[in-house]
Amino acid sequence: MEPQPADDTCLVQETLAGNQASFQLLVERYQSRLFALVRHYTRNPVEVEDVVQETFLKAYHRLDSFQHQSSFYTWIYRIAVNTVLDFQKKRGRSPVQSVEDPELLPNSSQPSGSRIVSPDARMEREEIAKITHEVLESMPEIFRTVLVMREFEDMAYQDIADVLGISIGTVESRLFRARARFKEKLLQRHPEFGEQ
Amino acid sequence: MNDHHDMNCQEARERIPSYLDGELSETAAAPLRRHLMDCQPCRASAQSDKNLKRWFVEPKAMAVPRDFSARVARRAFAGDTGERFSPPSLVPAGAGAAPSLVAVADARTKAPASRSDERHLRFVLLLTAAAALVLLMLSLSIRSLAVPGGTELKADSRHTMTADEALQHLDQLNGPAANTTPAHGSTPASGAEGTTSGTPAKTPAAPGKKP
Repeated sequence: MEPQPADDTCLVQETLAGNQASFQLLVERYQSRLFALVRHYTRNPVEVEDVVQETFLKAYHRLDSFQHQSSFYTWIYRIAVNTVLDFQKKRGRSPVQSVEDPELLPNSSQPSGSRIVSPDARMEREEIAKITHEVLESMPEIFRTVLVMREFEDMAYQDIADVLGISIGTVESRLFRARARFKEKLLQRHPEFGEQ
Repeated sequence: MNDHHDMNCQEARERIPSYLDGELSETAAAPLRRHLMDCQPCRASAQSDKNLKRWFVEPKAMAVPRDFSARVARRAFAGDTGERFSPPSLVPAGAGAAPSLVAVADARTKAPASRSDERHLRFVLLLTAAAALVLLMLSLSIRSLAVPGGTELKADSRHTMTADEALQHLDQLNGPAANTTPAHGSTPASGAEGTTSGTPAKTPAAPGKKP
């Protein structure tokens, strides 16, 4: 019978007791997911690695503040999101710095009659991913973050709310606007994907 | 706007995204489903939202470096706080954040950085500053020794000396051996030497004195 892998709580406690191997196990457990997450913000592999590494190092030094109220992943995910946003801000790359408050957009930018089609079946996966990444990059961070969490990370509204520290209602309305904006940007760049 | 059963089109369209995300309770989902059965425009809207979801495909997974977890764990236990993107500072920002020049420079090189490295850097910087101060003081004191003081080298006192007097003075300085030398052309060099490296105390008195 194979030994059961230690749960996150055990690994956290062992790490706090000074066990380096336990922390290494935690890193191994979540490194792939964090690499995938950060990749939605930067395509530079060196930067991805730097951000994920920084996330784990910060997590280690704040481990004693982890209250076990949320899952370890939710907790470290929050650190990762803050780290990547901070990183972008310092690199002057954040498109969030727009003068408008994306939450207060007029009704005209809410979902309109414009509809989009599915990606062409002949399109390569990487090609679709590239277009999507470009559209996301052009969006305010506040929208991009919820879309990444929901569409790529498949996170429940409650988890998104926990990570971002907002209510479920805000998650819902932010997603609604984010999708509308995504459609709009996609059609601006690629009108051919609009419904005829 | 159509009103099918107990939900109108606006309400339906607002709920479609949550429905597709699986976030609606059965109580909320049932009337929406009934509405969609009867309302073609809302069905088209739901289809468009489904199409949108198909754009979110994960790019090819990025390979995690083989030794990543071991390296991160090692660095964490060595005291690296991971404050990589903070602006470089030589002043400690407090106990919670220990950013450093070492850490920032280290982001590219991947060399291990720790608090002991930071202390070492500060010590070296302090030592360099102290050495620079000592060198400055030394050079100032050497300069003050090298500059002649007093009036012995005043140019106008030399003007009072005639050429003959100067030659006699040189002969006197060179001693008896020099007196036997008939040519004066060879003496200036030694005379000059005598003026600069000899006994300066005697020099001012010489022009006025006769041998």
